[in-house]
Amino acid sequence: MKRVISGNKAVAYGVMLSQVRVVSAYPITPQTTIVEELSRFCAEGEMEAKFIKVESEHSAMASIIASCLTGSRSFTATSSQGLALMHEMLHWAAGGRLPLVMVNVNRALGPGWNIWTEQGDSLSQRDTGWIQLYCEDNQEVLDTIIQAFKIAETVYLPVMVVLDAFFLSHTSEVVEIPHREEVDQFLPPFEPKYPLNPRNPQAYFGMCSPDYYMEFRYKMQRAMEETVGVAKSVDEEFGHQFGRAYGLVEPYRCEDAEVVMVTSGTVTSTSRVVIDRLWEDGIKVGLLKVKMFRPFPMEDIKRVLKGVEKVGVIDRNISFGHGGIFAQEIRSTFCNENGRPTVFGFIMGLGGRDVTPEAIEEAIHVTLDNARPKEEILWIGLKG
Amino acid sequence: MKIHIPKDEYMDSGHLACSGCGSPLGLRLALKALGEKTIIVIPASCMSIIVGPFPYSAIRVPIVHVAFETAACSASGVRASLDIQGDEETTVVAWAGDGGTFDIGLQALSGAAERNDDFIYICSDNEAYMNTGVQRSSATPYLAWTTTTPIGSLKERPKKDMMAIMADHDIPYAATACIAYPEDLIRKLEKAKGMKGTRFIHLLCPCPPGWRIASNESIKVARLAVETKVFPLYEIEHGEMYRLTYQPKEIPVEAYLSQQGRFSHLTKGGMTAIQENVDHQWNRLLEKCEGGAN
Amino acid sequence: MAGKIIFKGESDLPLFPISSGDMCWNRTGTWRYIRPKYEDKTPPCNAACPAGVDIPVFIGLVVEGKYEEAWNIIREENPLPGVCGRVCFHPCESLCNRAHYDEVLAINALERFVADRALDLESRVPIREARKERVAIVGSGPSGLSCAYHVARMGYQVTVFEALPQPGGILRMGIPSYRLPKDILDKEIADIQAYGVEIKTNARLGGDLSFGDLEEYEAVFLATGAHISRKLNTPGEDLEGAVSGLDLLRDINLGKKVRIGGRVAVIGGGNTAVDVARAVLRLGGNPIILYRRSRDEMPAFDEEVSGTLEEGIEIRYLTGPTEIIGQKGRVTKLECTEMELGEEDETGRRRPVPIPDSHFTIPVDAVIAAIGEEPDLTFLPEGIRVEGKIVSTDNGARTSRKGIFAGGDMAHLYRTVAHAIGFGKRAAISIDCSIRKKNVDSLLQGIRVGEDGALSIAKYLSEVARRRADHVVAFEELNVAYFEHGERNERTKLAVPERVRDFREISAGLTEQGALKEASRCFSCGLCNECENCYVFCPDLSVIIDSGAVKYRINYDYCKGCGICIAECPRNALSVEKEAR
Repeated sequence: MKRVISGNKAVAYGVMLSQVRVVSAYPITPQTTIVEELSRFCAEGEMEAKFIKVESEHSAMASIIASCLTGSRSFTATSSQGLALMHEMLHWAAGGRLPLVMVNVNRALGPGWNIWTEQGDSLSQRDTGWIQLYCEDNQEVLDTIIQAFKIAETVYLPVMVVLDAFFLSHTSEVVEIPHREEVDQFLPPFEPKYPLNPRNPQAYFGMCSPDYYMEFRYKMQRAMEETVGVAKSVDEEFGHQFGRAYGLVEPYRCEDAEVVMVTSGTVTSTSRVVIDRLWEDGIKVGLLKVKMFRPFPMEDIKRVLKGVEKVGVIDRNISFGHGGIFAQEIRSTFCNENGRPTVFGFIMGLGGRDVTPEAIEEAIHVTLDNARPKEEILWIGLKG
Repeated sequence: MKIHIPKDEYMDSGHLACSGCGSPLGLRLALKALGEKTIIVIPASCMSIIVGPFPYSAIRVPIVHVAFETAACSASGVRASLDIQGDEETTVVAWAGDGGTFDIGLQALSGAAERNDDFIYICSDNEAYMNTGVQRSSATPYLAWTTTTPIGSLKERPKKDMMAIMADHDIPYAATACIAYPEDLIRKLEKAKGMKGTRFIHLLCPCPPGWRIASNESIKVARLAVETKVFPLYEIEHGEMYRLTYQPKEIPVEAYLSQQGRFSHLTKGGMTAIQENVDHQWNRLLEKCEGGAN
Repeated sequence: MAGKIIFKGESDLPLFPISSGDMCWNRTGTWRYIRPKYEDKTPPCNAACPAGVDIPVFIGLVVEGKYEEAWNIIREENPLPGVCGRVCFHPCESLCNRAHYDEVLAINALERFVADRALDLESRVPIREARKERVAIVGSGPSGLSCAYHVARMGYQVTVFEALPQPGGILRMGIPSYRLPKDILDKEIADIQAYGVEIKTNARLGGDLSFGDLEEYEAVFLATGAHISRKLNTPGEDLEGAVSGLDLLRDINLGKKVRIGGRVAVIGGGNTAVDVARAVLRLGGNPIILYRRSRDEMPAFDEEVSGTLEEGIEIRYLTGPTEIIGQKGRVTKLECTEMELGEEDETGRRRPVPIPDSHFTIPVDAVIAAIGEEPDLTFLPEGIRVEGKIVSTDNGARTSRKGIFAGGDMAHLYRTVAHAIGFGKRAAISIDCSIRKKNVDSLLQGIRVGEDGALSIAKYLSEVARRRADHVVAFEELNVAYFEHGERNERTKLAVPERVRDFREISAGLTEQGALKEASRCFSCGLCNECENCYVFCPDLSVIIDSGAVKYRINYDYCKGCGICIAECPRNALSVEKEAR
């Protein structure tokens, strides 16, 4: 069934189709319509789920940690300040190896108050042990949520599905909504490995001394490594069944490209248009969309970028004192490689500033025209 | 007079509580009322240490260790999950300290209580942050010494009235209890267990090191807290029906305070001020009990 | 599951910290620096009882409604609970810790209650295997009966020789039946006879019975009492109408026709004086008691004095007789002098001193002297030492002649029924030791109740009897938070007009409800009565309830030595020791 729906509504459909049993969420712009839609689904019986109308994002995450541990597929959604408030619990969810799925609508953090898109909120949670998947359009959002549960329940790590504020959350697009039965076939009911109930009088998450803590963290890292392959096969299986697959990264017109631009989120869509036009002008520029940020799919990225002389990375985020976060990740991916590309790190579109085709083109030209970046951080669109 | 308690135990020896600690006794007694079909949520607190580290647990029902401020919402999550699975039999219990209840966990508790989420919340109150070594909490009584309210900077504010806060959430049941009165404690938990919605038990558990009392005095001091009306035993149904469950003896607060090193600095004036405050609170409670009985 | 769990590597570990082991590997007993232990101690009532009765234990059985068992617990030490429950001066109550809380426990009333419940029961106190040795007991008063009973229980062949036609000694002859009905005494004597004790009446030593007749016995216990009334040593004592109190009581108790009436002066302040006055009242006379000191010095039991006053009998204090005056050989007047109290005498009481020129006379029809009794020792053979009008005995009730033991009023100045029972028991133990060639002296300390209480035959007979520490529990050592305040439950008494009509028993026993209420007031000082506070309050689950004889056990593997069990024991039945390191 095709429908024209917003990104947030696509989220709600994805959650409903994934047979989520417990939702706990707190409204925040621009995530709010997800909460509203899910409330309606629950109220109208479209979803057989408990919706805990918590008083904060912190409690939202804490409560779905508990509900997931107790054996029910669980979901929350948030954004920005809300995600930051949850931070402590993100560690708890990942360390607790809980196959949760959360949607984060990328939004800048205050002050001053800013409700528009930026990746700083989710990228700040880089080291919490969550898998992070960035979506480009509303179809991908819906499909990724279904995939995310399958990945999470395979590797026992939580998954954050990320979409841009307003550009996706409040923008309507045509979305194919899969049939419930098909989704059920793809995503079987959650069968927890260690369900919490009185038949298993065990203690969960007790104090862990230096004797074992490190081994548990090692296991998390191994699970992250395993995730790359799992996510790929889940995506392939999904593609097989539904005719849509996304890859962990997606190279676009990278063959014979002199330079490759690296993007994530909706900037990718704009970039596709810019690149198509540049190719028409004979400018050989490729595009690499990075969907999976954690685990960082280094081998996939290397495969695409190896031999490319120059890479421009568009970051809608900044790690203060260092630079764009995707750029850092690309640099570190290649640091032990011979013939590594020169990386141009662009900071663009912070706080929801529009990343226009012109701005993208400017970044491409800076990459093409210079042997080396003049500065480690290249600001595009900054008012002089 | 013999104290009758169920003989079933849901706890084992070997736990890590300090000698004479009131808290494991409270949990042991509570579990006797709650039974085996119970899941306990424990936020950061002495109890998260007491029950034992991975891979052990001194408790024979499942327990989940959760973050400090999340006792109530974690309990909500467990409950929601059980409900959607059709398990209405299992009792969900949050067991938090006073810090986790009065302070850092108050928001989550208030949220859950307002929603009337279906679990029993037990606040094991030892009147300070004892797990970190005796720092004041908002449950610390007026003029008590702690490491963050040292002599010269004693706590100048009274203890937060947690029961009033919970009563004002209009929850079906709230009750105080004390480890020195096991039958009262067990009866209240049995009563709570038979109800639905958010049920709150404020359980006084003295801390020998934190209160500066000998390990063998914790029951005695707990008893004196009740007998001197510092900690009356009562219950509130639906935020309105107040009922005393024990008539304390007419003992001055000095009998209670003078037992404890944390009050050893008290002047006569301080003692009088505490007595006046206790009398005032007691009269207020009596008024509520009379009002609620109608 | 117990035991430590070791994971060799990460592949052994679960996905996240999930605990399936218990904490039992963690022997928290190593934290302990003091060690609690169950240790029963001596209750003050038990220590105070001259008969050594295990008071809290029998009372505990009353609480449980186990009256027969309670009766047998008393009879373990004392074969005369029905007697003692009526006439004992109950020193147990004087030391009862309940006095510091509200009112002392009505132990004496409870003893009577138990005995009264057992009126239709047969004795079941266990008996040791039979032996061929024979023991003679001279005198069937409380001391003789007690000795006979205990010796019989130890398997010996016992014969009691009683001078009078009926057994019971002072119990029958000296105590009026309004205090001790004869059927009660008969029942308890019959219970003793049920152990094979043979009682020969009308067998007076020095009369039909000679010492030579007793030589065939392995041991002889002399307990002939003190039944010679002291003389007033005033002129006129030979007049008709001047009699001795004990003689009068004996005549009344033997059912003889006693002619006494009119105004009767009873001289003395002891129990005999009081008993005589009240008997006279019941015979239709108008008694007055004349006592040379004040009420505070009266040796008669307080209850008896009160009862006497209730019945309207006048007691004139600080009054001493100087001459009995008669006409035609018959008493008509008594001349007295007023006294005042001077220095303390050897008994600790202030000595009465006549006030000069205070003589006065009162018209009387009879004068009864009841100023004390002495033993008749005229029948004693050579070789038995007498000191200060009593037979000299050692700790083992042994006289200076081998095989001859003595006890009761003839050998002691503690002249109460309870003491007599205790002395009889002491003699029984000593006789057993003598026959079995055991050293009684080395045994005595070990079988006392407390450090210096009476001897306990339970301790003597049972090697495995639960030992109690000698320490006598003080009120301050109790945790009274667990006790409700409650009034003492008293026995009801007949109204005065009804009771003085004849010799019917004055006091009714406790009702069952009253007895249960009263029994439940007992603190059970020093004795575990399974209240389970130790179990209830142990934070470390280290008090184990066992099904065996020793019901509670401390699991020292885990006990952290917090001391709560000791502190919360209401009755000081736990003790603390320093942990050996």
